[in-house]
Amino acid sequence: MTTIDDTAFAAPPARSRPNWASGTNLILMAIGAVLIVFCIVPFGLVIAISFGQKIEGAAWEWAFTFENYQRFFVGAEWPDTVTFLYLQRLGYALWYAVIASVLAVATALPFTYLMTRLSRAAQARWLVFLLASLSLSEVFIVMGWDILLSNRSGLPALFKATGLTDWLKDVGWFDVLREWGLANPRNVKFKPSQFATILTMSYLVWPYAVILLYPALSRLDTSLIEAARTMGARPFTVARTVILPSVRLPVIGSTFLLFVFLLGTYVAITVFANPAQHTTAVSIYESVRGASLNAPFGATQAVILLITAAVFLGLGQALNRASGGAR
Amino acid sequence: MSTLTRRSLLKSATGIAGLGLGASVIGTPLIAQTRSLKIGSYGGYFEDSFKTHIYPAFTEATGIAVESVTQPNSSDWLITMQQATAAGSVPADISLYARDTMIKASRIGGLIAPLDLTKMPATSNLDEYFVFQGAEGPLGVGAMSWFTSMVINPDEVEPPASWAEFWDTDKFEASLGIAQRFNAQFLDITAATFFDGEETFKTKEGILAIIDKVAELKPNVALWWSAESQMEQAMKNGDVIGGQYYLDVSNLMAADGFPIKPIFPKEGNPQDYGSWCLSSLSEKGDEAAEFMNFTSDPAIQALMSRMIGTAPLVDKSKTDLTDDEFAFVSGTPAIKPAYEAYLDNETFIQENWNKMLAGGA
Repeated sequence: MTTIDDTAFAAPPARSRPNWASGTNLILMAIGAVLIVFCIVPFGLVIAISFGQKIEGAAWEWAFTFENYQRFFVGAEWPDTVTFLYLQRLGYALWYAVIASVLAVATALPFTYLMTRLSRAAQARWLVFLLASLSLSEVFIVMGWDILLSNRSGLPALFKATGLTDWLKDVGWFDVLREWGLANPRNVKFKPSQFATILTMSYLVWPYAVILLYPALSRLDTSLIEAARTMGARPFTVARTVILPSVRLPVIGSTFLLFVFLLGTYVAITVFANPAQHTTAVSIYESVRGASLNAPFGATQAVILLITAAVFLGLGQALNRASGGAR
Repeated sequence: MSTLTRRSLLKSATGIAGLGLGASVIGTPLIAQTRSLKIGSYGGYFEDSFKTHIYPAFTEATGIAVESVTQPNSSDWLITMQQATAAGSVPADISLYARDTMIKASRIGGLIAPLDLTKMPATSNLDEYFVFQGAEGPLGVGAMSWFTSMVINPDEVEPPASWAEFWDTDKFEASLGIAQRFNAQFLDITAATFFDGEETFKTKEGILAIIDKVAELKPNVALWWSAESQMEQAMKNGDVIGGQYYLDVSNLMAADGFPIKPIFPKEGNPQDYGSWCLSSLSEKGDEAAEFMNFTSDPAIQALMSRMIGTAPLVDKSKTDLTDDEFAFVSGTPAIKPAYEAYLDNETFIQENWNKMLAGGA
């Protein structure tokens, strides 16, 4: 944030065209003011609220206490009992976001590469289709998958109708599925499960992954690939030694972007994940909403989630720089 | 639809006047002439039923026009009203609060205005329990009540005689839909089934024992639902074959031919109720009193039972409801939730409940 303010106030000194320069200055100052009002002030409020005090059975009041932060790490009843409930939720938030973003980028990469080999018109059609699918909200997508995975209208119905369920029961694999929580005594069930959660989350960001990878892959110099091929490299070797290294940065960048985006997933988690595997985002809403009216604890969790995201982004950048430097 | 047109109308009105100020000056004398009241209720089918059946009857009886305000639910509306009260202008004169939210509002203080019961003689029809007494006096008049019921899929299982049968893994492995919120009354059900009901909530050890008992049910729960629609879909799709759900909605679904049957087991079902509460900033105290008096009338209570599917707050003998009509919305015995305990030990119960949900198995 400070960088923006610095630019706002330390705009290039007016030289040949003072009027124009002061105009830019004004615009930058206006943008800075908007940022302060709509970004820094609310953010400051969240931090301030996170030190507030909950009143049992009522709302909360302004205070300066570290209780909420302590609760996040060891629970409200500490030191009588310790719980890592909220750390566990943060762990699940990270786990889901990492797996789903990696999965999305890993599957979008070959797709996007093949897409860039198509004709201009075909590429345009694909891109328009993908952009259009972005207009679907998370709620719609989750609802769609919910139907697709439902007992009577989705995949389990297909399992039953095709006799796959009976076959699974005959060969004994059905009991394994039951142990994994993917079946009840009557049929297979895919929700709630981590499988359904991660599937939906990757699906949610998949179009973004394609759109983020598209510019880099479409600018890929085909003569490099052709050269490697003529020198006898197999397609897999080409992909590993030529294509991947040349799009390394965009791949890592988009994975991180999607990771941060997925950290806050709410609807998919509440619908598809067991409460045992709920994330910090769900926990924040649970705290803030009327049933508990504990905005301070919600704010605390939000601040910690934000710090975690920042740490991961920093780590990613450091990692990236280190591997780039070694080259 | 009506809100859309009202919005666009307001927009164009301000546009023509050029200034919002001009529009409000023109508007004021008109409002002063007719008596009106803004009443909140939970959006969707519920609010629509009020708009079609109850408010018109009230306007006809008293000449007071009603503007319906949509509440998302009880507890989240409290946040809205709390912020609106702090800002000095509230969106509704009367809000509909469940008992726990109402107690919470009274503990927060300054949100609800005390009521003058002498202006609403019909409230004497209600059981005392349904007129909530806060420190400042009566704060809420019961509006209607609803049951959370045991439900099963009659095509798949025999009706259980007791809630305890839900703990039988041979019968219900990975097959139940239970509410995920700690205060959605499943603790009350467990306490009534295996413990001493509300009494057990009085100590922390008692609460932990109830939560431990719920933990034993986990292998049988396929869905911990947080939104009503999740449970509705799960019952319709056969993702679950039993659980807890709202009695009125279950009956409506059964009437539409879906495989769901609400049951009153021997321990009974939890009964919750909504109250009309007057905002502390409202200047419509007299109109509000007339409205609360109106809905306390046994005839109106019966009308709500028939049209909205809520349980009456007056004795069945005072109404003209038939046995069938009454069974559709109500039943015995009723489990009374341990509201005070939920509020006194809010963080404790919530955290231990979530710990239980997050634990292994």
